[in-house]
Amino acid sequence: MFKTFITSFQIKNAYRVNSIIYSIRQFPFIKKILPSHLYKNKVLKTIGNIGNIIIELYSIFIAKALYIGLCVFFMSTLYNTNIADTFIHIFLILTLIGGVINTYMFNPTKEKYYAMILMNMDARQYTLSNYSYMMLKILIGNLPTIIIFGSMSDVPMWLCLLLLFLVMMVKSIVNAYTLKYYQYKHIVRNENQLSSLLWGIVAVLLAICYGLPYIEMTISTEGFIAIFLICFVLFIPSIKIIYSFKDYQKLYKQILIPKNVYIVENQTSSAAIKQQVAKYIEIDTRLTSNKHGFAYFHELFVKRHRKILVGTIKKQSIIIVGIFIILSVVISVNKDIRENINGLLLVNLPYFLFVMYVLNRGPILTQAMFMNCDHSMLTFRIYRTPKVILGLFKERLKTLIFINLIPAFIIAIGLMFLLYLSGGTEDVINYILLFVSIVSMSVFFSVHYLVLYYLLQPYNINTEMKSSTYSVIQFCTYFVCYFMLGQKMPLYSFGIFVTVFSILYCFISLILVYNMAPKTFKIRN
Amino acid sequence: MKLIIENLKKTFDKKHVLKDIHFEFEKGKIYGLLGRNGAGKTTLFNCLNEDLEIDGGKFYIKENETRNIESEDIGYVLSTPNVPEFLTGREFLKFFIEINKHRIKEEKTIDEYFDFMKIDEEDRDKLLKDYSHGMKNKMQMLVNIISEPNILLLDEPLTSLDVVVAEEMKQMLKSIKDNHIIIFSTHIMELALDLCDEIVILNKGILETIDKNDLDNHEFKNKIIEALKEI
Repeated sequence: MFKTFITSFQIKNAYRVNSIIYSIRQFPFIKKILPSHLYKNKVLKTIGNIGNIIIELYSIFIAKALYIGLCVFFMSTLYNTNIADTFIHIFLILTLIGGVINTYMFNPTKEKYYAMILMNMDARQYTLSNYSYMMLKILIGNLPTIIIFGSMSDVPMWLCLLLLFLVMMVKSIVNAYTLKYYQYKHIVRNENQLSSLLWGIVAVLLAICYGLPYIEMTISTEGFIAIFLICFVLFIPSIKIIYSFKDYQKLYKQILIPKNVYIVENQTSSAAIKQQVAKYIEIDTRLTSNKHGFAYFHELFVKRHRKILVGTIKKQSIIIVGIFIILSVVISVNKDIRENINGLLLVNLPYFLFVMYVLNRGPILTQAMFMNCDHSMLTFRIYRTPKVILGLFKERLKTLIFINLIPAFIIAIGLMFLLYLSGGTEDVINYILLFVSIVSMSVFFSVHYLVLYYLLQPYNINTEMKSSTYSVIQFCTYFVCYFMLGQKMPLYSFGIFVTVFSILYCFISLILVYNMAPKTFKIRN
Repeated sequence: MKLIIENLKKTFDKKHVLKDIHFEFEKGKIYGLLGRNGAGKTTLFNCLNEDLEIDGGKFYIKENETRNIESEDIGYVLSTPNVPEFLTGREFLKFFIEINKHRIKEEKTIDEYFDFMKIDEEDRDKLLKDYSHGMKNKMQMLVNIISEPNILLLDEPLTSLDVVVAEEMKQMLKSIKDNHIIIFSTHIMELALDLCDEIVILNKGILETIDKNDLDNHEFKNKIIEALKEI
């Protein structure tokens, strides 16, 4: 069994190390420096192994410390109840929830799939050795954390030790029950696909966990000891069931199927995304166009994607108008809010950078452009001529700017109106800047996304995203907008800054597109 | 008219997929490009279609004089058909005819093109999204033929078609070969022998013709297999 465990550990290790090397090679320029045969490079493998050990140590100690520190200790300090009782209460209930949703045994992971299905390892030996290792990890990893946070919460040491063993016992009881259930019903539970009943139970337990202390109720120490004793009594036969169960091979053949194992990959795979984006196409073929050539082509694209373009813009506009009406009423009746909003409008304009970022349809539209249109059209050389690329770019830019300007205009006018209603400002320029900067931000994002798409076209023929530069820029865009959420700047200076920046950005990026897009706008290899 | 390839090279991660390609393809012939899996057939097509940058060499058209290949010279039919799914078959054809108007010598009506490709009337106004794989393949082939490119690159286009459609496509290719250089990649030898005028083998980065001479089909097959093993 020990040999099986070592082999399984080596498989997991190889998989993780290769994943680390693969991730490193995805960065811009690094792929050219690092050739593909690096996967057999011993030095790099050693570095990968060290990385893997760090990941393993993280999962043993840090992850558990974070979990107990944040979900148990920190939360127990937020109530008016006795901190030790609350610590035990939350720990106990979360352990019960963990027993249901984090069993290890019934989680169909890729490592298990590779080992037991693809490499045909002995399922029983694999499961039992890895299960024992997992239990050991729980004991060793939780020991320092429970003692430290337990002591900080004034939980006696002997109770800390009981808590430590409780985790292991609860998981084993649930797993043994599930094995027995399989023996009788021949149905394997997948911990990633809980029934609605189990989700309901989890929700109730969560409410008990964090809700009861709020009304100053916690499970008493006596109650906890009683539960511990019950678990202890059930734990002994549970261990016997787990270690004497013979049909792991059969059981895992049921649960370790690609649909379960690659559930995340299946949902985020390029094929799934392509399928999803294809659903945006409006089936109504009566939506037609009287134009010719590329204008005809583009108009049909817009009309057949009304759902994600006009439909969403309509919804956005209605919600924004609704918010402004509510705010206008509130301002009219409440003097304090009126003064607050006036102050906020004059210094919190950076907040709207994030709002305009969230509202912009650029990401979804460029994705639909590729998946439903350019993916096929870029395989035709005529579509890649500079005249066609730039002609279509112009049409697309006009559409994108136009549809994004609708909510932008509503927000800009609404904000001007709110500023006026909330007491106004002495400087009329502030009204103009409010309007111009919102419109500039909207145009900026429209240009930004389309230019990014044309300059970095990130997809390959299999519709897989292959540009880390594109992802990094998208993340940076998000980060900057998110960062601006908390910033306060006078309307005057931020308004001028954002307007000038947007104009310059648009100007420079359009020059770049006109010069570079005929070379960059193609399917990635 | 000839398509001439000289010293063409393409390397991926130090793997020489195309080592030193020299070849002349002539108008009026269908060339069967045979190669084992991963031999580089699609890479060769991607290089000729300028989807991939080449690492060395050149290719050009020679008529009365030599000239570079323009985007209008090449039609490329991929093994997996790619068509814009938000358009109907008719709309796609209308669009394609409009943007290629200046190149089409004898323009036909849209329905005549559909008839030529044997696409049923009831399917012509459906979204391409709802077309079957074979129908998408026909559409892709059709738009590449409409634009009348001098060179037609066909990357295993018949592999996934049913026997009836495959036969229709074979007949169609034979009917248009006089005005084109058709290079047809496949790894099905019978298909290549049945359809093509010349058999060209791509193996270990080298392209070479296999002459049939006086051999019968069986002997010719053996010669091709030996060549694929040997090179």
